[in-house]
Amino acid sequence: MYRQKYLFLLPGLIALTAIILFPLIFTIRVSFSGWDVYNPGLSWAGVKNYVRLFEDTRYWSALSRLSLLAISTVLIQYVLGFALALMVWKDVHARRFFRVLFLVPMMTTPVIMSVIWRTIFHESLGPLNPLLDAIVLGGQPWLSSPGWAFAAVMIVEIWQWTPFMFLLLLAGLLSLPSEPYLAAKIDGAGPVRTFFSVTFPGLAAISVGALLIRLIEASKILDTVYVLTSGGPGEATETASYYIYIRGLRDFQIGYSAALSITYLVIMIVALTIIAKLMVRFLVKGQS
Amino acid sequence: MAEIHLQQLAHSYAPDAADPAYALKPIDMVWQDGQTYALLGPSGCGKSTMLNIISGLLKPSHGRVLFDGRDVTALDTGRRNIAQVFQVPVIYTSMTVAENLAFPLLCRKMPQAQIKKRVEDIAERLGLAAQLRRRANALTADQKQLVSLGRGLVREDVSAILLDEPLTVIDPQMKFELRRILKQINEEFKLTMVLVTHDQDEAMTFARTIVVMNHGEVVQSGGPNELFEAPATRHVGYFIGAPAMNFLPATREGNEIRVPGLDLSCRAPRELAKGPLEIGFRPEKVELTGPGQSIRGVVSRIWFEGLEEIVEVTRGGQTIRARLPAGSCRHGSEICLTIPEAGLRLYQNGRIVT
Repeated sequence: MYRQKYLFLLPGLIALTAIILFPLIFTIRVSFSGWDVYNPGLSWAGVKNYVRLFEDTRYWSALSRLSLLAISTVLIQYVLGFALALMVWKDVHARRFFRVLFLVPMMTTPVIMSVIWRTIFHESLGPLNPLLDAIVLGGQPWLSSPGWAFAAVMIVEIWQWTPFMFLLLLAGLLSLPSEPYLAAKIDGAGPVRTFFSVTFPGLAAISVGALLIRLIEASKILDTVYVLTSGGPGEATETASYYIYIRGLRDFQIGYSAALSITYLVIMIVALTIIAKLMVRFLVKGQS
Repeated sequence: MAEIHLQQLAHSYAPDAADPAYALKPIDMVWQDGQTYALLGPSGCGKSTMLNIISGLLKPSHGRVLFDGRDVTALDTGRRNIAQVFQVPVIYTSMTVAENLAFPLLCRKMPQAQIKKRVEDIAERLGLAAQLRRRANALTADQKQLVSLGRGLVREDVSAILLDEPLTVIDPQMKFELRRILKQINEEFKLTMVLVTHDQDEAMTFARTIVVMNHGEVVQSGGPNELFEAPATRHVGYFIGAPAMNFLPATREGNEIRVPGLDLSCRAPRELAKGPLEIGFRPEKVELTGPGQSIRGVVSRIWFEGLEEIVEVTRGGQTIRARLPAGSCRHGSEICLTIPEAGLRLYQNGRIVT
């Protein structure tokens, strides 16, 4: 019945194959080749790239660094975003102004903002250290010591993406019905208990969504690292994607970087699936 | 448990305006302890405003609310010992049924052992004992409504239970059951219950006193029978009873009030103010034979209602509706209806003349 329907589905299917499947399959094929700057082309190298990858400690440490960076920044973004959303949720003075103000970082271009932040963090010329000196905290070697450089990347990430959390959570807060709050009031619950019994469960589903979107985005972090620290000092801020970029586009080890990419993709899919399942189980429970 | 006194109560959302539009016009009412009341009226008539004032969610712009003589107007909702069931079932979605029921007691810092006992008792009473460990969100709408009622009942200090159209979202067959439970709870716990509704059947079957409201004003307050027999205004006559009361324009002729074109009249009271007159009577009072005044007319419509039918009769541009036994007449035929004298009510300017 209606066999012609396949005809109408065909353009979509072709586009899908061309856009998603072809690059993926091509990358898989490249990952089994020895394509590099000396021997370009789709030669067959077997699983050589994958064997090398398992012994590449720089890759694995970049991956664990990325996990730390992604999870910690996203959690901080969530807490800050939630706090900001709660602040401008109810009738406060000039809340429209604040709602727009909080969104500004998200609307800027990451690379440009990273350049500005690099200037701010500059140890002798930037404005941050003199400010810290003035309030007795003291200036820090922001981009030249491993710990502080990592913190600097975190700060920029949090600054740039907290507005996204803020936006989603504020939308969630505004969509909450008023009756549960009246009921909580009648039941005699204080503000803290009301938050944990009504507001937080009410936003559980949207929280899972927001956290997942941000985790996926944060795992791809490249531009901030590239501009701010170039993965340095040493390898202190090198993330998985940045390392893949170095191997592929700086060293031109195309085959090897393809193998790194595929491994990275598989690890991300597995990890994010597990995280999503866990979050749904613990946050959303039987609510949906 | 408490007697609720609404003392010179009125509310305007803009009390300082030159012409404060009252959402609730001034009233003075006493609701007795342990009784059932229904606030009945169309949407936007001010019944929810009144309920929110009693529960403390809204501060009245004028007057006071007294519980057992104690002024609670300035008191917070949480300290008024009021329970409220909302139109949409409100449950704490992340909690089990038991945790939901325990919530108000937990907020009041009752010892755990006592909470457990109380929750089990109330769950047993509401038929929720088997569901205690289930997640409250997994329940059906009527069970959820019972849980939110239960949150009020677990508190031993509750003065009154306010029900804000609690049956609107419930399936028709469960509505009946839930109404029965509410009634039983009232008798058993001797709790003052105030039901807000726009469904007259709900109000008539549930409450001992029905407060009919319209445009922010209490139009009539009384028992179901009183409202049915002698509606204070045209509005009440239309709102209570199905089909609505018949109202026919009338004029004064000497000692009689007469409906022109129909042989319908009643004795004129000694003193009568100026304004349009109407004679009103219930469709249920109309009979096919018997003593009383008779009206001839042509049957223009018939609505089937099981053992009875509602018959619309027209005569000289007037239409009358009557509730008659099924099969009493045929469409298009001419019939003669009689209305007993005692069933007639006189209205002037839309208000009953006694």
